[in-house]
Amino acid sequence: MKPLVWVHEDCLRQEAPYWNQHREAPAVFVFDDEQLEQEEWTLKRIAFLYECLLELPVEILRGDTVEQLRLAQQAYGCDCIVTADTPEPRIRRVIEALRQHTRVEVAPEEPFVELDDRVDLRRFARYWKQAQLKLFPQ
Amino acid sequence: MEAGLGRGDLLQRAVPAEPQKPADGLRKLKREFSSREELARYLQEQFPRPAQRDAHLSPIRGGRSQAEAALAPIQPARYAFTRNYLDGCVTGLSPYIRHGVIALTRVREVALSRVAHPFHASKFVVELAWRDYWRRLYGLWGQGVWQDREPYKTGWAASDYAESLPVEVEQGRTGLACMDAFARQLAETGYLHNHARMWVAAWVVHWLRVKWQAGARWFLKHLLDGDPASNNLSWQWVASTFSHKPYFFNRENLEKYTRGAYCQKCPQRGDCPFEGSYEELHRKLFRSQVEG
Repeated sequence: MKPLVWVHEDCLRQEAPYWNQHREAPAVFVFDDEQLEQEEWTLKRIAFLYECLLELPVEILRGDTVEQLRLAQQAYGCDCIVTADTPEPRIRRVIEALRQHTRVEVAPEEPFVELDDRVDLRRFARYWKQAQLKLFPQ
Repeated sequence: MEAGLGRGDLLQRAVPAEPQKPADGLRKLKREFSSREELARYLQEQFPRPAQRDAHLSPIRGGRSQAEAALAPIQPARYAFTRNYLDGCVTGLSPYIRHGVIALTRVREVALSRVAHPFHASKFVVELAWRDYWRRLYGLWGQGVWQDREPYKTGWAASDYAESLPVEVEQGRTGLACMDAFARQLAETGYLHNHARMWVAAWVVHWLRVKWQAGARWFLKHLLDGDPASNNLSWQWVASTFSHKPYFFNRENLEKYTRGAYCQKCPQRGDCPFEGSYEELHRKLFRSQVEG
């Protein structure tokens, strides 16, 4: 397995599980022009991310995310892509598109608190009632 | 803005791998800058459309080294009783947490290590848990965080609310010293104290009767910690489309937690829309069947 690490805007740290296991692998980040327009990003938000990226060993790319990742995969001779899981719908759509042509491993983030899948999320108080038992055991 | 990007060991180690094959079509961006001004100029050239929205950098800098600097002085016990004040002991960690520069679990561990008993960090951990909670809902709802999760509990229908923000709100030109200052701070820095976010959101939705989505879009353009999960669902909490009742405030509350920073110099002093008791404002803002 020769992975390409896709670093996206929800997980910019090397010790996260998706990246920590592949620290020697090439890593890329893509500024997606369509996303920046749809979400009306201001320059200061881009700059904040950019400064985060400058402290990481990552190639900074721009363009269509799926296309740039495919090109990067070819250029680096990688046979799969690894990235961090996120609830962000745009990133999930990119992962699904990538899976049309390559293997993608999506590593979960370290859970803040491990809760039953059936945890009641209708209100924060209900969530917290269960979360605090784990976070502050008597 | 001072020059230099803090090119310490961390940055010098951050060298990306070189491609093995010719990288036709790869659109690489530059990584070497001699100053923050040079970075700003480069980004303005590369991203002209975002630069039309605003072309400056925030005084808040990105990067792990900055995140660690914000994490080092946290005081969870003091946070618990000062966090509602604009000059309270808040951390400014949210932009770094939002982008995963630092893990929520690590922030929690550091907080717990700073107190004699975990109970003293519980309020701090609750606030971290709100982010976990919003992210779990985002996983379930996805783009559904843009829809009203429930009807408004204000006595008004969604159709009673305007679709867009008045332009003077975004520009900070309404004549309300507090709200204008918050709008300008948002545009200038990409950051607002959480209490200020709640006041602005309540004003936009309940006083101006504008749909929360318009306010949420405005915030997301600017906030360095902008995230549809925390942002939109917090707006919905204020609006009452994801809570049992609307959140609102009065001038006395704002004056207390800003330590009078705005009310004293406000051009609308004496004619402030936030003046009055909660009961009076409730009658003014909401239709009568809504409980206080």
